[in-house]
Amino acid sequence: MRKTLFLTAALGLTMGVGTAAMADSPWTGGDNLPTSPLACDNTPGAAAAMPYDGGAVTGAPDLKGKPIKVVDVPKLIGIGYFNATSKGIADAAKELGNVDAKTDGPTQANIDQQVSFLDNYITSGVNGILFAANDPVAIAPVLKKALSKGIHVVGYDANSQPDAREWFVNQAQFNGIGKALVDDMAKEIGEDGAFAIVTSTFTTPNQARWIAEMAAYQAKCHPKMKWLETVEAQEDNNLSFNQATTLINKYDDELKGIFGMTSVATPASAEAVTQANMCGKIAVVGLATPNAMKPYVAKDCVKSVVLWNPVDLGYAAMYVLRAVVDGDLKPGAKSVKAGKLGELQIINGSEVLLGAPTTFTKENIGNFDF
Amino acid sequence: MTTETPALSRLVPVRRWKSFFESYGQEFVILAALVVLFVGVGFYNPRFISANNLTSMFVGNAYIAIAAIGMSMVIISGNIDVSVGSLIGVLGTISGTMAVNGYPVILCWLVPVLIGMVINAGVGVLVAYVKIPSIVVTLGMLSILKGGLISVTGGAWISGMPPEFMIAQFRLFGLPSSVYFMVVLTALAALWMKYSPFGRAIYAIGGNPEAARVTGIRIQPAIVGVFTIHGMFAGIAAILFATQLQVIQSTVPPNLELTVITASVVGGVSILGGTGTVIGSTLAAILFAAIGSSLVFLNISAYWLRAVQGLMILATVLADMARRRRI
Amino acid sequence: MTLVLNRMLRHEVILGVLLVAALIVLAGQSEHFWTADNLLNQGRLMAEVGLIALPMTFVIVTGGIDLSVGSIFGLSAILLGVFWQNMGLPLPVAMVAAILVGGIAGLGNGFIITRFKVPPLIATLATLALYRGLAEGISQARSVRGYPDWFFGLGQGEVLGVPSQLWIMIVCFVIAAFILGLTTFGRTTYAIGSNEVAARFSGLKVDRAKLLIYGASGLIAGLAAVIFVSRVSTTRSDMGTGLELDVITAVVLGGTSIFGGRGTVIGTGLGLILMQALKNGLALSGVKGDGTIVVIGAVLIAAILIGNLLSRDGD
Repeated sequence: MRKTLFLTAALGLTMGVGTAAMADSPWTGGDNLPTSPLACDNTPGAAAAMPYDGGAVTGAPDLKGKPIKVVDVPKLIGIGYFNATSKGIADAAKELGNVDAKTDGPTQANIDQQVSFLDNYITSGVNGILFAANDPVAIAPVLKKALSKGIHVVGYDANSQPDAREWFVNQAQFNGIGKALVDDMAKEIGEDGAFAIVTSTFTTPNQARWIAEMAAYQAKCHPKMKWLETVEAQEDNNLSFNQATTLINKYDDELKGIFGMTSVATPASAEAVTQANMCGKIAVVGLATPNAMKPYVAKDCVKSVVLWNPVDLGYAAMYVLRAVVDGDLKPGAKSVKAGKLGELQIINGSEVLLGAPTTFTKENIGNFDF
Repeated sequence: MTTETPALSRLVPVRRWKSFFESYGQEFVILAALVVLFVGVGFYNPRFISANNLTSMFVGNAYIAIAAIGMSMVIISGNIDVSVGSLIGVLGTISGTMAVNGYPVILCWLVPVLIGMVINAGVGVLVAYVKIPSIVVTLGMLSILKGGLISVTGGAWISGMPPEFMIAQFRLFGLPSSVYFMVVLTALAALWMKYSPFGRAIYAIGGNPEAARVTGIRIQPAIVGVFTIHGMFAGIAAILFATQLQVIQSTVPPNLELTVITASVVGGVSILGGTGTVIGSTLAAILFAAIGSSLVFLNISAYWLRAVQGLMILATVLADMARRRRI
Repeated sequence: MTLVLNRMLRHEVILGVLLVAALIVLAGQSEHFWTADNLLNQGRLMAEVGLIALPMTFVIVTGGIDLSVGSIFGLSAILLGVFWQNMGLPLPVAMVAAILVGGIAGLGNGFIITRFKVPPLIATLATLALYRGLAEGISQARSVRGYPDWFFGLGQGEVLGVPSQLWIMIVCFVIAAFILGLTTFGRTTYAIGSNEVAARFSGLKVDRAKLLIYGASGLIAGLAAVIFVSRVSTTRSDMGTGLELDVITAVVLGGTSIFGGRGTVIGTGLGLILMQALKNGLALSGVKGDGTIVVIGAVLIAAILIGNLLSRDGD
């Protein structure tokens, strides 16, 4: 009996602490950086001109047009999203013909390991590094070391501090994603619908940024929508499914929509809605790769999926790196050529903008394979 | 090791209520904790104990309970397996890949279970005959399986399995099959551990290997046997894991081994070996599922989930130690 | 005595041969491997694991284990940021406080293990979850950045051309080797691992020794965390996840018996270097990360396997 008391006491204590500690922002899971919600109609955001704020490489050999060795170190390997960027990088390398590119990285989104991987590749003597940072600050020292050894550095997907790399290929601006997701949700569940969010962890920078932007945009343009809560599910299929299912059970009729913030959480949430027989009653809107979503879109359980094309993202990153090595992309440039993607615009000083995110629907999802 | 010899007393059947409580004390504690949790959170939000939510709790975590059955046996025998998460990841991937490539469904279910048994039989041989401590062998296996899986698959997702393959989604009388698997396997394993000579031998080996040897138990084959059976449970867990969703992530589920070991230990399996039951580990797996779910219902930040888990293990283990001393 | 010493050293000799072989093979694979620059850099990268492996050797020699080091590492890292930024302590004070919290967390382990006789595997499995949970709960996803420049000297700087943390590791290594090999405390440690009951009966202060060892394990994990924060210049609550596996692999590879009573600090050093050399050398010769994990797992089993087979012949 003592044991039971102990257990309950321990539980109660922890729960008390937990509730006390979480009474801050209305949307959990966002970061506390300033937000810049877009206009409610389709007026594009004003892009303020900024001087180049990227880093500078020192002592890089002139390799214009010559074969180069490139390594791509994503946040982690073994998830659909980074498989797709890796494919884009390989495609571009093949197209260019003078690039030897390979992808290698940690099996968990872990900064210690990512830093070690980069360090080893710097020593092994590559000419260029492509990265997606697990932490913008933690990765900076090792990237600066690469720059100081004459290695060109270009980021994609998740940025580092600007001065630790030369260019960053931005898949979509945070406020653009926030607007696209919230607008889609409002269209599906109405202006006064209630929704919940399934994200990876509250520490993941991109997800935290999107959530903060979504909150700001919702408050500005869809003020009557109701945010219920945000749950964490890491990048884990089963956990995402369990968390989404629990949300459905908890809110019953009140819950009208679920946002999936990762390419893992969105299909798992759709699966949860399907298995709960709530298709059509609970909308799932989120970021996801089309292949994982095809079954649910085909069954009309999910109407639209938002994502930039990660294959294009990797492809663009590879082209940007080649342009930097060849000296075709210099600080102050307004745009850069990226093979089949054409001219890409340069924003925020040292970022290359991939373009607007794509919305996949039943009509076009069959055309994409990644 | 310890001065008393609990295993010997367990070999002699004692039918008294006191001894009944001694052997099942932990199970009652977990059951009590579950009831407290259900009633408490149910008061706060009745939907927590709705049929839907109870079913989801079981369904989403049945594979953990099933893996914990085998893990309990391994720990009762005085060993440990830290590679079970990686093994489940590998076997699930094999199963899914076979299903996508059109093999007969029955093979897609059986082959991974067999492979799991073969792999773990190998582990058992290294532990029993070559005398490498199980934590070292399985630490090595953890790396080999995890790295090997990513090397081979590149982490590609598997989807498009035929519907008849999805055994975890079959329903009978409205309940998903994984619930039946969990209940039936737990019951069978519990009976088997209690009444079969092999089951008793496992307790004896974990409790006091010397005494077991004296009573004529052949320790080495028994250890290989335990690991092989554990491989079978891991295989079944992997099939349920793989057929639960339309997509299989061909990577190792993070922290799965920790969750499985935790379920076994909180369920009353003593890490010293020799005591514990598989019923306890299944109850503990359910308890964890219920706690995870209750955090969402109570609006508690998932940040604290791990702290709660840690406190729970500590609380159960400390209480267990206190009880032992009183006996 | 010489016989015991011989048996103890046998594994170190095997390991030494294995290490030399690995170094030769790896050097043949890539010309970048055997350069001062790379080797020093590897020293920097392995310092955290290396530091924690030292007290872990003591822990495992007593027949125990400490699975919570990665979580203590994360907790200390988070608290360094919290103490400095949120509580406004001067950075040096915050550093000391963060390391001390590591020590207290370790003492907590030791207390649970000695006072309540909980098996170390379980006690530290529980605190693995508990300490990580605290780190996550306290940080609430906030990273602390913007440390002053002098702080980075610890993790990114050099002293006499050698990474600063490598000096710290070498000093700690010598101290640990001295304590375990040549002092009464070291003999107590071995005695506990060989036969705890006998050690108690012969009047050794078993509980005090264990408490100190687990406390040291936490303290060093805290120190490693401060070095790591200085190396990567930010704090996150997921720092050090899975670190315990690397540490334990290095120690066990170094010949310390998981059953206790056997093992040396030199062995741990060799095990650590072998592991890091494999990671680095394989990466340089073009093997991907997942392949490297497989090799390390196989080497771990093989090293113990060879040791066991040879020692059986010797018996």
